[in-house]
Order: sequence, then C-alpha cells, then structure tokens
Amino acid sequence: MRLLISAIALTLLVAGAATVSAGTTKRDPAAELYIGWPNNGEVIKKRTIRVWFGMRNMGVAPAGIDVENTGHHHLIIDAELPPFDEPIPNDEHHLHFGKGQTETVIELAPGKHTLQLIMGDKDHVPHDPPLYSKKITITVK
Amino acid sequence: MTMCIRAVVAAAIVAIAAPVLAAEPSPEGAKAYIIWPGDGTVIKGGKFWLRMGLVNMGVAPAGVEKPETGHHHLIIDADLPPLDEPIPNDSNHLHFGKGQTEVRIELPPGTHTLQMLLGDANHIPHNPPVQSEKITIVVP
Repeated sequence: MRLLISAIALTLLVAGAATVSAGTTKRDPAAELYIGWPNNGEVIKKRTIRVWFGMRNMGVAPAGIDVENTGHHHLIIDAELPPFDEPIPNDEHHLHFGKGQTETVIELAPGKHTLQLIMGDKDHVPHDPPLYSKKITITVK
Repeated sequence: MTMCIRAVVAAAIVAIAAPVLAAEPSPEGAKAYIIWPGDGTVIKGGKFWLRMGLVNMGVAPAGVEKPETGHHHLIIDADLPPLDEPIPNDSNHLHFGKGQTEVRIELPPGTHTLQMLLGDANHIPHNPPVQSEKITIVVP
C-alpha cells in the first residue's frame, strides 16, 4: 500500500513537473512551423544560404511585444532543442530574430549541418505547447 | 496682413498635423515578395496557401510602433491603393494585423492578380512604400 501511495505521489510529481517544462504563453494549437527553404537533405554549393521561415495559424511579433498568438523566430544550427521552460540561449547555435524577421542569410562551413526553428514568446521563452519545426540536415559543399 | 497671418497659422496647423499622419520610414533594402505562388502559376481548384516574404525588415502586429517593422496586406484583383493613407480593408485588400506571414486563399475560376503591400502600425504604407511585384495566377 505504501508503495502504491509512493507511486501515485511520484506520478503526481512527474505530472507537476511536466506542466512547468514549457513556457506559459499560450498559442493556437493548430499553429505550424517549418523551414521553407532549404529542404531536408539539400546539397548546397554556396557558403551563404538564405533560409526562410514558414508559419501557419500564428503571427510574428518582435521580442518584447505582448500580442496574443504571436512570437518571434529562432534558428537552431547544429544543436538540439533547448529547454522549453527558460529563455532560448543567444549564441552562434541559437540565432534570435527579435526584430520580427521572417528570413535570414547564414554562412556555414563545408560539411553536414542541422537546422531547426523554434518560436519564442516576448521573453524568448518557448510557448505552451512549444512550437518548433522538423530538424533538417543539409550539406554544404 | 490678417490674411497673411491666417495663411501662416494654416501652414503651422498643417505642419503639426502632418507628423501624426506621416508614414514610418522603411529601412534601406527592404523588399516584399510573394514566395508562393510564382507569377503565372496555374492553381487547380483555386485553393492555396500564399506565403509572404520580407527582406531587411521585420513583421509586427498592427498597432505596434516599432521601427523597421510592418504588417502584411494582400491586394487581390486591384491596383495599389493611395500610398499616403490607411490601406482599405475589404475583399480586395486583406489585412494581416496579427502578424501572419501565410494565408489560405480561395479564388474562383479566372485570371487573378496578387500584390503585397506593407503597412505600418496605423496601416499606412511606409516611406518609401514596401510592396511586392504584382503577379498573375490562373484558376482553371
């Protein structure tokens, strides 16, 4: 019996933790985020690459702006998704587009690279639920 | 002399009023373009997602005053509206005041024109205006 209660308590703890493992800014559950270009598996012969950000059923707003169902884009290069309950890091692997940009030009060294988008709210924290794109792999020749 | 003073007063009122209506300056190199569909695309059924592209500038919802940002408008089957006043809001001029960058469109059979025009916090085109090329699509 004690074991069962412990198990229930543990389950509750895990459930409790789950609810804080995302930001608190709500968004349309139907929102979709994707990398418009390049495509997954693309082989690119130039070092500079224009990447455009695709999003449906949600809007873009610059960082610091509090408008319902909006956020700003972040591009993750050669890294895993960051924690969902804190501001997205700001470094060479996590590019912020806090001015409301919807595309960018990046320069990558020859080799394989991964790209993934994640939306951040006005405080750069992912939404609830977090909105991120599929992670794609490209090769720069 | 009285008339001269009146004229000066009138000029002063215009000068005061003008900054309120003045459009946001657009950043250098700002460019709007329709990512998809391309010019001349034939779209069976007339239903599609239109993607709006913006270079050297950011998107912000209507009402947000932030330099170098604006929100998208899509002009369907019409010419550019006057560039010194708020963009009309009707079935030929769609507003994306929530910061949207894509829209689901449904058009009847025929030839249609599509063109984007950015508006500032007050829906007024920037100075200089940021607009896309006008494209033509065909719904068979």
